[in-house]
Amino acid sequence: MIPRQLVFATATLFSLAIGISLYVWQLRRREALSPRPLESAQHVAPPVSGPTEKVTVWVAHDDSGILRAQAVSIPLAAGRQERAQELMRALVDIYVSKNSPHPLAAGAEIHDVYLVESGLAVIDVNLAFADGHMSGILAEELTVVSMIHTLAVNTPSLMRAKILVDGKERETLAGHADLSGFYDVGQIAALAKQLSSQ
Amino acid sequence: MRWNKGASHAYSACLQSTAGLALSSVLLSSLLSIRPLFGQDQSPTYSLSNQTSAPAQPASTQRTLLIMIDAAHGGSEPGAVLNAAMPEKDVTLAIARRLRQELAARGIPALLVRDNDATISTDQRAQIVNSARPALYVAIHASSQGAGMRLYTAMLPAAGDNSGPFVDWQTAQISALARSQWIQEQVTAAIQKTGFPCRSLIAPLRPLNNVVVASLAVEIAPTTSNVSQLASSDYQQMITAAIANSIAAIRGKLESGP
Repeated sequence: MIPRQLVFATATLFSLAIGISLYVWQLRRREALSPRPLESAQHVAPPVSGPTEKVTVWVAHDDSGILRAQAVSIPLAAGRQERAQELMRALVDIYVSKNSPHPLAAGAEIHDVYLVESGLAVIDVNLAFADGHMSGILAEELTVVSMIHTLAVNTPSLMRAKILVDGKERETLAGHADLSGFYDVGQIAALAKQLSSQ
Repeated sequence: MRWNKGASHAYSACLQSTAGLALSSVLLSSLLSIRPLFGQDQSPTYSLSNQTSAPAQPASTQRTLLIMIDAAHGGSEPGAVLNAAMPEKDVTLAIARRLRQELAARGIPALLVRDNDATISTDQRAQIVNSARPALYVAIHASSQGAGMRLYTAMLPAAGDNSGPFVDWQTAQISALARSQWIQEQVTAAIQKTGFPCRSLIAPLRPLNNVVVASLAVEIAPTTSNVSQLASSDYQQMITAAIANSIAAIRGKLESGP
């Protein structure tokens, strides 16, 4: 015969397990039904505190299909790489702002900019940047040229640049601009000149 | 059966010669099965989309004038969404077909790289064009941005190496780039003369980089804020007539060698 205490303990544990299961099931159901707080789609620039420097960025304008130089202030960075990142973020802030002359998708951001010793810059953008980008030869090349030319003009000895999407190589930005190779900074400068004139 | 070493050698030699004969006959029959892209008995307007191979023509100073028109995107790759009912791939195909007609009306033979809604990679497009060796390759794109027409030549990536016996795939256009740029200048000037807005640019756009003949990409945008203008037959007619006229104007140069 099974001792009474054991039967009592088993029944208690069993009912406890059922109770916890029901509670967990209810919690999961409640979580599934409750609206999730939206992830912030809009890129939020950190407030600039401390010393800043004025730099020139090359901004794409969709209405006329040209690039225009624009002066902006960026936080004074300690190193070359941090400065390059601040430059790219300042440019993207213009593109994701209200009344942007060349709108990028909500949530478009620069993950990182790496300056490699051999005069190579690697710009890593997030998925929202590429997935939500307007498709078209001119639209895509305006983005590519504005980024690389801005970086090249403000970073001496830069020779080549590469754009990655979410840390990976991607064939095109949005179906047109080729991202599989390395961009020659001299060619980008020539194209920037073409794109700066009507 | 008892095998000695001599018999074994004779048997393997016999097998080798039989295999050699079979291989030779396969090679010969496949060589004979390759036909010219279009001969005298074939229409000059023809689609390449169902062809898997085409012979490379030897470079000569006087070439058969052939324009290859490539409707960009297609199949599972729609390109830009110009509006809800108008993917770029449909507009480019309609314009490519019209351009073929306009060129044929001027006595210039033209082929389409795709004449249906097929998915063709940029590498495959370049292979088709490089095999056919046309005088000019024209890729057609459409966009809702800007106004009028943009003509692009290749912007070759950095660090291409064409010094060896093989041509670097990423910079294969380099030998034809000067010719492409000359054609771009001529076509742009001819279109601008008609009063139609037209810009010349370079672009990091495939397969322009991978094509070994003179190559242009044309991006067509509406002249008004209404993007459905791109689907209008009048607008397509006007655009393609302008391009065909400008190509016809440099026919002599296109017929002469590279």
